[in-house]
Amino acid sequence: MRAIKEVFINFKRSGFLSLISMGTIIVTITVLAGYYLISETVKHFMNELQNKVEIVVFLVDNISKDKIDNMITEIKEFPEISEVVFISKLDAYQEFAQDKEMKQILDSFEGNPLPDSIKIKLKDHTKKSIEKLTKFLNTKEGVLEVQYGGKDIENFLNIINVIKLITAVAGIIFVIASILVVSSIINLTIYARRHDIYVFRMVGATDLYIRLPFIMEGLIHGIIGGVIGWVVIYIIIKILSLQIQKEMGINLLNFYIFRPEFFTVKFLIGCIISGAILGFIGSLLSQGRIRGDYY
Amino acid sequence: MVNMIKFKHVYKIYEKDIRALDDISFEICDGELVFITGPSGAGKSTILNLLYREDVPTMGTILVNDTDISHLRGGKISKYRRSIGFVFQDFKLLFDRCVFDNIALPLEIVGTNRQYIKRVVLEYIKKIGLSGKEKLNPWHLSGGEKQKVAIARALITSPSLILADEPTGNLDDFSAWEIITMLLDANKTGTTVVIATHNKEIISRVGGRVIKLDRGRLIQQ
Repeated sequence: MRAIKEVFINFKRSGFLSLISMGTIIVTITVLAGYYLISETVKHFMNELQNKVEIVVFLVDNISKDKIDNMITEIKEFPEISEVVFISKLDAYQEFAQDKEMKQILDSFEGNPLPDSIKIKLKDHTKKSIEKLTKFLNTKEGVLEVQYGGKDIENFLNIINVIKLITAVAGIIFVIASILVVSSIINLTIYARRHDIYVFRMVGATDLYIRLPFIMEGLIHGIIGGVIGWVVIYIIIKILSLQIQKEMGINLLNFYIFRPEFFTVKFLIGCIISGAILGFIGSLLSQGRIRGDYY
Repeated sequence: MVNMIKFKHVYKIYEKDIRALDDISFEICDGELVFITGPSGAGKSTILNLLYREDVPTMGTILVNDTDISHLRGGKISKYRRSIGFVFQDFKLLFDRCVFDNIALPLEIVGTNRQYIKRVVLEYIKKIGLSGKEKLNPWHLSGGEKQKVAIARALITSPSLILADEPTGNLDDFSAWEIITMLLDANKTGTTVVIATHNKEIISRVGGRVIKLDRGRLIQQ
C-alpha cells in the first residue's frame, strides 16, 4: 500500500517523466501486438489457403487406362494424400464449357484441346510433402505437366515473412528501447530522491523497503502502458479496416483479426503482462543505483 | 559499567594515503555521554560514519555490544541501524512529509501498529514543544525546530545509542542549548550519547568525557 502511495506521489512530482516511460511502453506494446496480429493472420490465412491447395497432374494424349490406374494406385500409397480423382479430357471439357467465354475459346480449337488429368488433394500441405510428390510425379511416364497453386502462395508468404521479420526486429528494438527508457527514468527518480533514500537507509530501512516503490513504479507504468497499447492497436485496426473498406470496398470483417472477437480478454491480459514485464525489468535494471552509486 | 563501543587500532585510509583515522583505540561504556572534538578534518565524522556502518575501517576492529560491525551485511546493517538514533547537522528530514510522518518514519519502516505510532509520536511532538505543528511540512519550521524533529525521530524507537554529528552546527545559542538539553535528557534515561562537535562552550558547560582528535590521531581521551 505504502509503495503504491509513493508511486502516485512520484507521479505528481515528475508526471512528465512517468508519461514518457508509459509512452515508450505503449509504443512497444503496440508494435508487439501488431507483430502478433500479423502472425495470427498469416497462420489463419495459411490454414484456409492450404485446404484449397491441390496438385493437378496433366497426362499425355492416348495414355492407356492401365497406366492411369497404376499411377492412381501409386499416388494413393503416399500418406500425405487425402483424395485422388481422375478427370478425363471429356469431363474437363464439360466443366470448362459451362463458362460461356471458356466455351468460345475451346470451340476455336479443332477437337478437345484439354488433356486427361488427375486431381490430388492433400492432408499434409507442407512444402516438403508437396515437393516430394511433385518430384515423384515428374518421373512418371505419361505425365505431361504437374501443377499446383502453391507457387503464388509461396511468393505471397515470402512477402509476409519479410513483413513479419521487419516487425519482429522492430519489436526487439522497441523492447530494448523501452526497458532502457523505463530504467533511465526510474534512475532519474532515484537520483531525484537520493536524499530521501539516504535518510531511509540511515533509519534502518531494508533494501526491499526502499526498492519496492521503484519496482512498483516500473510495474504500474508497464500495466498502464499495456492497457493503453491494447486500446491503441484496437483503434489502429478499426481505422485501418474502415479506411480499406471505404477506399477498396473490401470488408475486412471477413478477416479473422478484424473481427471484434479477436480482441479478447486473453489478448488484453497478454498486453498487460507484456507491459508489466517490460516495466519490471526496466525498474530492476535501475535498482543498482540505490546501493550507494549516488550516495 | 559495560563497554558498549570498542575501537581497536582503527585506521581509515583513503586514496593517496589520506589518513582520516590513524590507529585509533578507545572504549565507550554503556550509558556514557561522550564528546568527540577536534578541528575540521580531525576525523570526528569519520568515527560516526564507521559507528553507523556507513563505512568500514581500512584496518582495525570496531565492536558495538561485542559485535564486529564491519562484518555486518545486508539486512543485518538495517537491523543494527534501527538500534541507533542519528542526529545530523543538516537535519536530514524528508520534505515531502509532515512533521508527524518524519518522526514516525523509524516506527513505520518496521511495520509498527498505526495506533501505537499515533500515540507515541504525538507524545514526542508535545515533549519537543511542537504541538499543533505536526501536520506542517518541515520547510515551515525554524532550524532549531527542525533539529528537534530530527532528535524526536532519533529517540522514537528508544535506541540504546545516539550518535549526533555537529547537532548544533546550524543553530543559534538558544536553540543549540535546547538541543543539547534534549540529548542530555536522553542520556539521563540510560542512553549512550556520542556527540561530535567543535563547540568548546557546550563541552565546558556540560562536562562529560571528551575524545579529542587532530588530523586523524587521538590526542586525548
